[in-house]
Amino acid sequence: MVNQNTLNFIDLLADLPWVMKLNIVFTIFFVSLATIFVVSIIWLRIHKNFRNEKKKKQQNLLIDFLNSFLFDEDFDKEVEITNFKLHHLKSSLEIKVTIKEILHFHENLKGESAKELETLFLQLGLVDHVLTDLNNGSWFTKARAINALSELSIVVPNHKIEAYLNESRNEVRQQSQLYFLKLSQNSPLQFLDKTFRPLTTWQQIYIENALKNFYKGEAPDFSKWLDHDLLSVVEFSIRMIARYNQFEHIEKLLPFLDHEEDSLKCEAIHSLTNLEYQGLLELIIPNYNTRSRALKLQIMEAVAELGSYEDLQKLEAQLHRTDWEFRIKYLNIEQGFLPDKKDQIYSQFILEKSLAI
Amino acid sequence: MSVAFNQFTEIASWLFLIYGSIISGGYLFTAIFSLIEIRDYKRRNNFEDDIALLQSLNLPAISILAPAFNEGLNIVENVRSLLTINYPSFEIVIINDGSSDNSLELLIEAYELEKRDILYHNFIPSKEIRGIYKSGNKAFKNLTLIDKENGGKADALNTGINVCQNSVICCIDVDCILENDAMLKLIKPFLNNGNKVIASGGVIRVANSCVIEDGRLIEVKLPNTFVARVQIIEYFRAFLMGRMAWSRVDGLLLISGAFGMFDKQIVIEAGGYNTKTVGEDMELLVRMRRMMQERNVPYTVGFVPDPLCWTEVPQTWKVLQRQRNRWTRGTAETLWIHKKMMFNPKYKILGMLSTPFWFFFEWLAPLIEFVGILFFLILLALGQINWVVFLTFFLAVYSFALLFSITALFFEEYSFQQYKKPSYIFKLIGTAMLEPLIYHPVIMWSAVMGNLDLLRGRNSWGVMSRAGLTNPKKKKKK
Repeated sequence: MVNQNTLNFIDLLADLPWVMKLNIVFTIFFVSLATIFVVSIIWLRIHKNFRNEKKKKQQNLLIDFLNSFLFDEDFDKEVEITNFKLHHLKSSLEIKVTIKEILHFHENLKGESAKELETLFLQLGLVDHVLTDLNNGSWFTKARAINALSELSIVVPNHKIEAYLNESRNEVRQQSQLYFLKLSQNSPLQFLDKTFRPLTTWQQIYIENALKNFYKGEAPDFSKWLDHDLLSVVEFSIRMIARYNQFEHIEKLLPFLDHEEDSLKCEAIHSLTNLEYQGLLELIIPNYNTRSRALKLQIMEAVAELGSYEDLQKLEAQLHRTDWEFRIKYLNIEQGFLPDKKDQIYSQFILEKSLAI
Repeated sequence: MSVAFNQFTEIASWLFLIYGSIISGGYLFTAIFSLIEIRDYKRRNNFEDDIALLQSLNLPAISILAPAFNEGLNIVENVRSLLTINYPSFEIVIINDGSSDNSLELLIEAYELEKRDILYHNFIPSKEIRGIYKSGNKAFKNLTLIDKENGGKADALNTGINVCQNSVICCIDVDCILENDAMLKLIKPFLNNGNKVIASGGVIRVANSCVIEDGRLIEVKLPNTFVARVQIIEYFRAFLMGRMAWSRVDGLLLISGAFGMFDKQIVIEAGGYNTKTVGEDMELLVRMRRMMQERNVPYTVGFVPDPLCWTEVPQTWKVLQRQRNRWTRGTAETLWIHKKMMFNPKYKILGMLSTPFWFFFEWLAPLIEFVGILFFLILLALGQINWVVFLTFFLAVYSFALLFSITALFFEEYSFQQYKKPSYIFKLIGTAMLEPLIYHPVIMWSAVMGNLDLLRGRNSWGVMSRAGLTNPKKKKKK
């Protein structure tokens, strides 16, 4: 019956002019696709709701389990862990939620409790899942796996993570950097020696954050990476020398004031300013006029921080009257040095501007 | 006459068909690229929360520029909402663009503002500043108010750029609602990229009927009016499908004026916002990109698909028509100003793909459609319509339009799923079914009128009246 109808329809189509045939075929195609998408939307909604429901259930279960595991002295850990493993870690969703929830708890706990969670993670056999992801997953599951390992301080052979230090994906690189940093006892930045892809500013911020918040050992000697092949690593090291007040490395920073790369010159001036290196101004003021825009602004910052009104005046001779960006910066600094003459400086500027026009 | 006419209709039909097929093919490709990009974005961001970085002092300071013209009704609340943005270092610069209402007085009073002598220079030419105000109260130390002569949105933004302190600027509409981590997400492309990033844009969402308390979005609701509801689908298509795809191939030509972040120095070097066009947001990005291409400097433009900024869209047909009329003029003006880029391999993807796409499928599409309708009417008048052919053609076009909207809904459901209530899905599907019949003709007509107005030399924005975004429950209580 159906076949007969289909045949009739095909016959009908064959008799129609080509324009109509085309229109009908397109209509059928578009409507079918639209219907598939509508069904997919409904399926997605049901699937997501169902998944969220399961997730919530697993989360609630875990909250009870983890609280009892951590804080209930009568809790029979061995039996309960075996029980949980047997009944509540069957599907991949349950495993994912459990890993995420343990990570979440771990993030909010310190000391003994955090250590216990790390042990629990091993006892539940979740490391095996993480390692499977690390070895066989796509880039995002690898990144997630490395993230879990570093958060829970789970050590794996170095070569397994080192392979991802120079991955093409920023996210994988970032997680492997953080892995080495968080797990290191005394050389948190050793991974930089094996890094040959530039560090993005975002990664640098993460590394600095992790150094400050996770690494408990002695501050690394950042000067070790001042001769690194990557400009971004050198830039980061120069900045860190100042952040960690490593005054002993001031001498090593001085050559960067004449480096061919402006970004390094800039970073060096910035760091030496923060380290309050008194000899800085006499090195940078004389060449002010030949410097790039960014450097000029950095030099002015240095004068504002370290210098006197006399130092500032040395710049005035090198300033063009109509270089308004530098002129404004200069006058703002001047107002800082001479607060009593603030109004006078402002009036003078307005006059200069009107004359320039 | 009859043979010639038949030949003419045959050729015209072919031309319409070819154009329609190309446009459909183009949309199909954008859908595929968008899906890949959304999936990639979700994967990149699904295992780590960057929010911890909000404690970091290493993030660059941002100047948030918000022009305001006669916004007295909600300005104090809007600014209060902006001041609560979660970001380590930022300044809010409100530019009062010669408002004729009491916006200035309200702000001065609410935030204890005092006139200050601030040094600035017009790096970008703009109208005269009457005064710059800062607060004596430390709680509002991030706030700067500029009072200037009226010059339009572009001029107001240029003033803000001239006066602001930081090297990264974020241009927003003063009444938009920003998500808590909006700044952090929008700045990420600037910091996590090998190339220089000159701008990054975010997705704009429709805030009409949503529950908003103290400048924060509490609950996402579907608007009550059809006009607002249909714009939700339109925004899904534009942002989740169109711009995501263009971002994937680094061919973005537009970052919405309601929410975009820029490298200030590049903006100044490019000459700032163009005050002579009503499409200043698109024109600026195209000019910045053109400048970078001509300088041969590697660069990129970022795009963040997260729903970060919520805004009120037109609720009435009249205001909507004015808005679309303006958008058409803005597009046409930008394409005209930068006509040199079109099919110019020197500008790579922008020249060979983006500008031709905008020309043929954004600017020309409503005109072709209008000509098609005229063609149909002529045939109708001459009694030359083959109604069966017409019906099948209409069904093909309608089903394609429907498919495109449903695909956009699918993308939303797959990615961010903001409209949680199950009834919302069915309402949106219903809206998508009505859109080609009710909404689309109005939009097409507005675009046609926009082109006519452009030819007539009309250059105004038109009044964009808004109801204001507040908690509907609170409104009822009042």
